Amino acid sequence: MDLSPVSRDVLRPPAPLRLVLVSLFAALVVSLLPWAGWMLQARPDFVLLLLLYWVVHEPRSIGQTWAFALGMVMDVADSALLGQHAFVYVVAVFLTQLLRIRILHLTVAEQALHMLGILFVAQLLYVGLNLSLGRDFAGLTLALAPAVGAVLWMPLHFVATLPRFRRRSDAVMM
Amino acid sequence: MAAYQENFFTRGPSPLARVTFFGLVAVAVMIADHRFQALSVVRVGVSTVLTPIEHALMLPGNVVRDIGAYLIAKDKLLAENKALNEQVLMLSAQGQRARLILSEQTQIAVLNSANERFSRDGVVAEIIRDARNPFARRIIINRGLSSGIKAGDAVIDGVGVVGQVTALGMSSAEVTLTTEKDQSVPVMIVRSAPATAALPKSAASNAATLATEMTAPGTEIVAAESAPASRAQSGLRAVAVGGGREGTIELPFIPVAADIEVGDELVTSGIDGTYPAGLAVARVTMVDKNPALSFARIVAQPSTAPDHHRFVKVLTSTGTSYPQPDVKTYDLAGSAKGTQTKREAKREAKRALRDR
Repeated sequence: MDLSPVSRDVLRPPAPLRLVLVSLFAALVVSLLPWAGWMLQARPDFVLLLLLYWVVHEPRSIGQTWAFALGMVMDVADSALLGQHAFVYVVAVFLTQLLRIRILHLTVAEQALHMLGILFVAQLLYVGLNLSLGRDFAGLTLALAPAVGAVLWMPLHFVATLPRFRRRSDAVMM
Repeated sequence: MAAYQENFFTRGPSPLARVTFFGLVAVAVMIADHRFQALSVVRVGVSTVLTPIEHALMLPGNVVRDIGAYLIAKDKLLAENKALNEQVLMLSAQGQRARLILSEQTQIAVLNSANERFSRDGVVAEIIRDARNPFARRIIINRGLSSGIKAGDAVIDGVGVVGQVTALGMSSAEVTLTTEKDQSVPVMIVRSAPATAALPKSAASNAATLATEMTAPGTEIVAAESAPASRAQSGLRAVAVGGGREGTIELPFIPVAADIEVGDELVTSGIDGTYPAGLAVARVTMVDKNPALSFARIVAQPSTAPDHHRFVKVLTSTGTSYPQPDVKTYDLAGSAKGTQTKREAKREAKRALRDR
């Protein structure tokens, strides 16, 4: 009989807020590299990926307010219309919040599949918003970005759950 | 047990309420930015924070590039030097002519008591990178509000028009290229006439005598007279619109019967006041005159290639750079007319009373 707790996250100490913020900033910095050409089209949305990760694992500190704020920052960084990324991030975070409990029960590979779906919806929204502005479709390479993002979910999970990032005192208390 | 407790004690609005709220705010922000360009403050603020980070990120690449440029072969520099010297000679002749024309123009302008049409002030800026947006054809330059650049300023390079400043930061600006889909430039079609037609009269006659020496007189007449008659027609005005993804420029809404051919040059006509007149924009590469359609399909290749060089010039426009309606004639013709006639009518009535 399986006596392990319902949620696999229960016995894991919470991530310090500092780790959350530093990782989000790191994701932003990676996005700010001078991406161009097909690399730009296939570039996964690092900020959104990190955002979704923390929405799953730290729902109390990271939510839609952060999604909106980071979206606005990404709009400026990517010279997009203000509000495009904000809208996409808010919707993606909402979907993740709906699926959160379910995602926590899954293995990392299954989680990545869920992320593929959410990231794909986000990319569709982003492309749709741009097309509705009368822009040209930039190419099918754009569909690669969610896939790359979903693959990155696994190493991200591995790194973010390394014990060195967790507070020992909390672990003892649990 | 955190995972259980948070479901019992949810604080604040539900996720659905939140997504509705933030979604609506995002849509409002999009409309405000797209329709009214109302949120440049946000853009300036955020980009002021982001630009130093980007600079730091690009530093290693720039250092490598500069070292590579330092170690470049001597031959290449010498060849470039020679080419530049030749260009200086050519440009100095053109410059002298331009100075003459300018002095004439200022005299005429004084006579007409009109404003100078275009300010020639500009800021030289370096292209930092392409915008990280697969849907937009924009470049980022390293000058911004602090250099006096404003949204809407024209950006040119050594060859012609590059684009227009569309968003600003303190020390950076986004330039939307002329090939972007919603970008339009008022142009005039210039046909490069054959050599004999382009030369002044004396030179043409010289060429003609040379031609008579070399060939039969009959052919000389054809070259000197019929060519300008058949080809020199030009000056059609149009609006060039970016072709988007293909990186071309198109001329929409040109009638099939319009006088336009492959090889014609598009130069700015200057009637918008944004771009000074006479800058090269593109060269026509395809003219599809299908009589079944009411408009011809005209595709042109842009003259400049901003991916190939590093520096551009931003023309910082003054407030009234385009020809304004003459205020005096406007007053006489329009608003002042009614009041003056009323006043005059009153005066006349008073005079009439006094005279009695």
